[in-house]
Amino acid sequence: MASLADETRATLTPAMERPKRNLFSSWGVNIAIAFTALRTNLMRSLLTMLGVMIGVFAVTLAVAVGNGAAESITSQINNFGSNMAILVPEPDDGDQGGPPRRSLERGRLTMRDLKAIQNEVPGIRAVAPQLRQPVDIVVAGNSMSSEAVGTTPGYGEVTVHLADAGRYISNSDVRSAGRVAVLGRTVSETLFGEFDPVGETIRLNGVPFTIIGLLEEKGSTFGDDNDDTVIIPITTMRQRFVGDTLAGPDDLLLAFVGFEDGVSLAQGKKDIVAVLSDRYSVKPGETTPFKVRTTEEFVEATSVITGILQAVLVSIASISLLVGGIGIMNIMLVSVTERTREIGLRMALGARSSDIRNQFLVEAAVLCTLGGTVGLILAWISGLALSNYADFPVPVGIGTALGAIGFSAIIGLIFGGYPAVRASRLSPIEALRTE
Amino acid sequence: MKPLVETRDLVKTYTLGGETIHAVNGVSLTIEQGEYVAIMGASGSGKSTFMNMIGCLDVPSEGTVLIDGIPTGNMSSDDLAGLRNQKIGFVFQQFNLLARTTSIDNVAVPLIYAGLDTETRRERATAKLIDMGLGDRLLNTPAKLSGGQQQRVAIARALVTEPVILLADEPTGALDTRTSEDIMAIFEQLNAQGITVIVVTHEDDIAEHAKRRIEFRDGEVIEDHAVENRIIAVPRGEEAA
Repeated sequence: MASLADETRATLTPAMERPKRNLFSSWGVNIAIAFTALRTNLMRSLLTMLGVMIGVFAVTLAVAVGNGAAESITSQINNFGSNMAILVPEPDDGDQGGPPRRSLERGRLTMRDLKAIQNEVPGIRAVAPQLRQPVDIVVAGNSMSSEAVGTTPGYGEVTVHLADAGRYISNSDVRSAGRVAVLGRTVSETLFGEFDPVGETIRLNGVPFTIIGLLEEKGSTFGDDNDDTVIIPITTMRQRFVGDTLAGPDDLLLAFVGFEDGVSLAQGKKDIVAVLSDRYSVKPGETTPFKVRTTEEFVEATSVITGILQAVLVSIASISLLVGGIGIMNIMLVSVTERTREIGLRMALGARSSDIRNQFLVEAAVLCTLGGTVGLILAWISGLALSNYADFPVPVGIGTALGAIGFSAIIGLIFGGYPAVRASRLSPIEALRTE
Repeated sequence: MKPLVETRDLVKTYTLGGETIHAVNGVSLTIEQGEYVAIMGASGSGKSTFMNMIGCLDVPSEGTVLIDGIPTGNMSSDDLAGLRNQKIGFVFQQFNLLARTTSIDNVAVPLIYAGLDTETRRERATAKLIDMGLGDRLLNTPAKLSGGQQQRVAIARALVTEPVILLADEPTGALDTRTSEDIMAIFEQLNAQGITVIVVTHEDDIAEHAKRRIEFRDGEVIEDHAVENRIIAVPRGEEAA
């Protein structure tokens, strides 16, 4: 029997000095153990991974679709003319939408208003009025319906849509109310095919016009074909087509103010409102007879919508990831139960509970990360396919990719956590006794 | 001689269906360094429970266990894990090797928990396997080894951290007589090298290899004496695999 003195001395010496572990090395071992375990139950591992794979695939694609929608809308707005304010002769009581406060108030916007804006507001690149009229276009042996736009030379600049064959309408065309037309590519190709129509005569609602130029091809904005159009001088439009439908001889239905690059649109809008308010004697806070919106506001409004769209998509997709995570938890619980004896053995050989916990955490994280990686690759391929064949950008960026991988590892740690802790709390002797 | 394992009034009780069972009932004994002890007893005699407690796998209900002079009563489970890792080597009846894992990796498991790096682990595991005559079976998985070879891998694993005590629970229970003799020869050698060997068995033949025999019945020690006419197992060379 040891004496009491012996025992005391023994107690005073530090009980168990184990060398400090090489953390990296023990994680390496855990990863190796995890792969062995996954290989051992290959089919089960693959099926479990499938859950996470589908979840990550769905979430990644949802994020990408949302980003793509936002990107597409922004680029379409930019395509139409980015640094721009749009003016409409509609009463605006400051509330977005809703009926005007006083029904007597009518909207008003005239060519003179636009000129005043051009003269008084700084930073303007070009202004352009717009009157539109559906027209039947007839040439010898061919005809179609399109829309004529009555405007001034500034329109091409503001909408970034100039003539690349022949010429655009000029100020002198506007002054003389000339019967000249610039055709969009869709119109020109429908009526003339490959033939160069500059100099030919067409009839718009029976009125003969000379074709002076062709607009460069622009494609669609929100499904509207920008090339299905005919540009004519605004004066001609007034005289020949829409004069009697307007409130006054100088009235407009729409006007664009394009600003120089780098000019603040918010400031530009303020300036425009100030000029017009002065002209219409509107006091601050009163309903104005005109409405001014900037492209910036459109982008903001649509980004709110695409943000909501994305949130909804991601929430739905997350449910599948949650189900995948529960699958992981389920399989890890099975794995812990199946390997109780192994856990007992490892504990007998000196594994601490944290060693056992980490072993199973790593296994779950590896399972999830593998599944997540495959899901990400599938999402990336689908994104490419959608971008190429559906004409809709679905960008799976590096941020989305890293997020997806990181997120699936976290899913592994969260859903693997409970089984791992359960394993680490087993008593070594109970675990060893398990058959 | 230095007391290596010491128990004082060791009690382990279980509650089964409202009834308290004394699996081990007040056992005090000392095993000194270099001893070769056989712990005997019928099934249910308390010998396995006793072994689990001196192996620090199980916690006593009452009393204390001292390993190498260190009282274990107030140790945390992590400290007990460290104690098992450094001081005690376990050999089990069913070998308890990890399936689909090579001999080297099986033997290296305790070294992972000792915090050694991969290279040192491989070196030490290889050396122990060569000591056990398994130099040509380093990369075999348990499924490709005979029972005797598997138990020798298990012994190499028990010894790889250089423990002071080897605890063997029915080490030959799953082996035939000839192979059992080989294993006993290994124990004989290890004991000659100074390792304290404690074998739990219910077989008289096996117990007769030990130098001291402790017999349990109903949770108490009923016999504790030196073995007369002990059998000394000698290695018979390479086993026919």
